[in-house]
Order: sequence, then C-alpha cells, then structure tokens
Amino acid sequence: MTSTSLVEPGVGAALAAPTLAARTRGLRKTYGSTVAVDQVDLDVPDGAVLGMLGPNGSGKTTTIRMLLGLVQPTAGEVELLGHPMPGGAQITLPHVGALVEGPGFHPFLSGRENLRRVASAEPLMASSAIASSVAEALERVGLSDAADRRYRGYSLGMKQRLGLASVLLLPRRLVVLDEPTNGLDPAGTREIRRVIAELHATGTTVLVSSHLLAEIEATCTHVAVLHKGSVVAQGELAELLEAGAPALLVSTPDVEASLDALRDNGIAARSTEDGLFVELIGTTAPQVVRVLVEAGAGVHEVRRRRTGLEDLFAQLTEGEAE
Amino acid sequence: MTAAVVDSVERPALDRPVRAPLGRLLASELRWVLRRPRTVIAIVLVACVPVLIGVGTRIASNAGVGPGGGGLFASLIGNGFVLPILSLTLLLTMLLPLLGAMAAADALAGESAHGTLRGLLMAPVSRARLLGVKAFGVGATVFIAVVAIAVVGLATGVVLVGTDGLITLSGNTLSFGDALARIGLAVVWVTFQVWAVAAIALAVSAFTEHPLVVMAATLAGALVFGILTVIPQLDWLQPYLLTSTWTTITDVLRDPMPWDGLVNSTLKAACYLVIGLGAAYARLSNKDG
Repeated sequence: MTSTSLVEPGVGAALAAPTLAARTRGLRKTYGSTVAVDQVDLDVPDGAVLGMLGPNGSGKTTTIRMLLGLVQPTAGEVELLGHPMPGGAQITLPHVGALVEGPGFHPFLSGRENLRRVASAEPLMASSAIASSVAEALERVGLSDAADRRYRGYSLGMKQRLGLASVLLLPRRLVVLDEPTNGLDPAGTREIRRVIAELHATGTTVLVSSHLLAEIEATCTHVAVLHKGSVVAQGELAELLEAGAPALLVSTPDVEASLDALRDNGIAARSTEDGLFVELIGTTAPQVVRVLVEAGAGVHEVRRRRTGLEDLFAQLTEGEAE
Repeated sequence: MTAAVVDSVERPALDRPVRAPLGRLLASELRWVLRRPRTVIAIVLVACVPVLIGVGTRIASNAGVGPGGGGLFASLIGNGFVLPILSLTLLLTMLLPLLGAMAAADALAGESAHGTLRGLLMAPVSRARLLGVKAFGVGATVFIAVVAIAVVGLATGVVLVGTDGLITLSGNTLSFGDALARIGLAVVWVTFQVWAVAAIALAVSAFTEHPLVVMAATLAGALVFGILTVIPQLDWLQPYLLTSTWTTITDVLRDPMPWDGLVNSTLKAACYLVIGLGAAYARLSNKDG
C-alpha cells in the first residue's frame, strides 16, 4: 500500500509497535557519592497510563525530572515524544503538562491570577484564549468558587487541585503527575482518578507516580516498579498482577485429613508451616472450601496468595518500614 | 493503542520549537512584579523620602537651625529642583540598592523557593529568555522607584519653593525646562547604577533559593565597598569600586555640566552589569529545575 508498510520487519518491529511517549536507556543520576537513579530503562507506551510505583526515595521524582529535562542525567539517554532531552525541550515540553514535587504558586496571587501567569508562559496557548482556558481549567478541578481567593488561604487539597488545573490548561500529548494524591481526601483522590481516566480516554499518555499500590491498580494500564533507583519490574498492569499461578493459603489444624480429602478430589495441595498451599488448577476456591468442610476439617482462614506484583511491592515497602 | 481512543483531541504538530510571545512574557512578569505587595510598599516608602527631606529642612530653616555652611542641604533652601537630586543622592547610598536586591532576590531565588521557577522551565521558557524576562522585571522595578522619587521630589520642591530660583551649585540660574532635563539625566544615571547592583544581586539569586541570602550578600557587599572606599592605602582599588563614584551625581547641578565623571561611572556600572548578568546566566544555564 503505502511506503510505510515496506519497512523491513526485522528493523521496524522493535521501533514501530507500540510507539513510546517516553523512553530512557541506562539512565543514571548521582549527587556526589549518592546514587539517586541507576540503570533505568523505562518505556512509557503511547496512550498508556503508566504508574511509577516505588517507596519514598526510590528515584521516582529524579527520573521524572530527567524525563522533563529539568535535570541533566549523569549518564544514559532520555527520549521524550521522540526527541532527545534535554536538547529537545523547546519542541516537546509545550506538549507536556507536568505537576512535579507538589504545586508551585505565589501566595499573594489568587488561584486565577496564578494560572494566568502559568498560561502566559505556555508556548501553545493563544493569547486570546488565556482567560477562557484558565476559567475552564478551574471549573474542571472544581475550584471556580475559590478562584479569586488568594492562594495563601488555600487548603492542601485546593493547592493540589490548582496544580492539576495548570496541567489541564491545554490539550497535551503527555501528562506527568508526581504523587498527585498527596494530601488529598478520598473525594479528592477520586477526582484525580476521574481526571486521569478522562485524559486516557482522549488519548493522552499519562505518567503518574505513587507509593501506593492501590492507587496504581485503580488508575493505570501499565506499571513500572522502582526500588533504590532501579526499575525492578515493568509491563502491563494486568500481566504483572497475574504473574504466578493462582493459589490459596489455607490455615487449618487438620492438615493430614485435609490433604487426603483434597488429593481424593484431584486437587494439587501440599502442607506448609501453618497450613496448606492449594493450587487453583482445574478447580476454584469455593470448590476447595466445600471439599475441606465436607471432610470435616476445621478451617480458620482461606486467602488468596498474593500475586507477583503485590508480593514484590510488599517486600520492597515492608523492608523499608523495618 | 490508538484504537482505544474514544474522543481524540486535536493536537498541534510536534515538529518544531515553539515559544510564547516575548511581549506576553514581559507583560506577565511586570504584572507579577507590580502585584507583589512588598514591591509596591517599598516603592511608596522610598518615594516618601523626598517629602521627609523637603519638609524637614523647611521646618528646620524656619526655626533658624538650618544647616550652616555650604553643600547640598544649604542650597536646598529656596531651591526647588535640588530636592529630587538630593533625594536620589541619599537614597542611592543604601535604600535603592536594597530595593534592587529585593527585586532580584524575588526574581530567581524567590521563584525557586516557591517552586514556580520549575513551572516556567517546564512551560518551557528557555533559560536565556528566563534571565532576560527576570532582568526586565527587576530593571522595571528599579526604574519605577527612581522615577517615583524624582517626581515626588520635584513636586515637593515646587510646592515648598515654587518654580523660580533654580540655581545651580555654580551660581547661575536654569530655566524650568533645563532643570527638568537635568533631573531626567539624574534619573537615568541613578537607574543605571542601581541596575548594576541588581545585576550582581541577580547572579547571587541564581545561585540560591533563599531570598534572604541575596539581600544579605548585597548589603554586605555595599558595606564592604563603603569600608574599602575610606581606607587610604587602598586608593589604587577605589576606582574599580562601584560605590566610589556615586557622589558624581551632583555634577548635574553644576553649570556647565562636567560629563567625565558621569560617563566614567556609567561605563563602570556597565561592567558590573555585564559581569552580573553573565554570572547569572552561567549558573542558570546548568541549574537543576
């Protein structure tokens, strides 16, 4: 058909499908002797909602700042919307909306005045559209009523919303939100999720960082897990969540009787330290429970085994907490 | 991926650098500077100084305790157009540099502290443009303050003394138009000197995110320069100090006017300006956002 279909598959396959909104290779950043980010190969597929998941201090913000050309990497390369960064900043950043390290505004100006100032600096903003774009963005984050109050008097949640409004001033190709739900109440968190879903629906690529797995699970199509400055896992959320065969952990005092009953019914099971490990192959959880109850075994607790991602993230964060 | 797009928004092409109009950036900066309460308060306060000097000297002379001898204060009595010049001379020694430093501190360090500098860099505004816009904002603040002092000084002088008797330090009388031209010249000269101070302050401002550091550094610099100026053994150094020629401004009150001092001190200020802006750019161009 067209000449584009004549690209050799060997060369074209890796490049063409799927296109990447952002891509880093061997990214490294050190501050003195501290390694903030090391060997990060991050792929943000076009149109995806990619969640960067990691405990505090895992290098999420530093990676984002290098993606946006705010920080010069010590080593490695960054590509944003197909252009190398930070050299391509003037081409790419007008198409990128970002909220990094919390919202930054002037306390003595109103929310509206603050947004006007942001809008004036936006290269793709038509001067005649500033007033209406600002009003629209304020409306979208539910700040219209407080628009003419000074930023100084805003609550933490309102500040965060104003930051989100500054990202929404223009239609973007990529939106980067660094810990957007910090300081928000549940209603605010739901609104952020709604905005992310809206952006996704209009084809905007979204990169959102969080230290909460639940947050990522609720909003993202893709996930990259960072730990101590490195990417330890990345891929589609569904894939990562389902990694590892499904299984049940059964807590029971009657281990032997239970094992016999399960094996009689053709269910693979083995004993563990505090009960049974039952693989859910060719069977379902209710079936397993019925077999156990019918065999007269006492069951304290039955729970699903944690999936690969949950397990991984729990290990990372639990290690952090101790 | 694109198959999932429900309602795609039309997006501008992604193939060339785009920049916000420079005029819009400058207007936005000016608006921001003039909406900052402390800028307005500082300008109003320095503009009150000529009234204070004018009324104060008038009361003192009426009471018969006016300054004896020569000098500017003496020529103030019965001479309206000396007041703006005298006010600028006095304010140039400390308050105007302080005002310039304050504006410069807010321009980069202050924005950095509020996290708003990052927003500008991400818009993006290129770093060279950012410095240009910031220098414009600081320069405009200083210029407005100097003009305000001159206008208030002139008005106070005219109210207290009237428009006749515009006598120079050399003894002859100037027309009102000539006097205005001299005041205009003083405004330009003083503005440029304060710009030189502000440029250095802007460089400090690029290095820190604490506005207080900028203020302290500028004040300390002004004090050290003042001390160096009075040490006789350092007379070889003194021609290079910005502050050492700040008294040259009284030349505009002489007739005919000696230009040498005014031109030399302006060239010296230009050197400080270039050094300050150069250092600010060097820092800004590799500063982490």
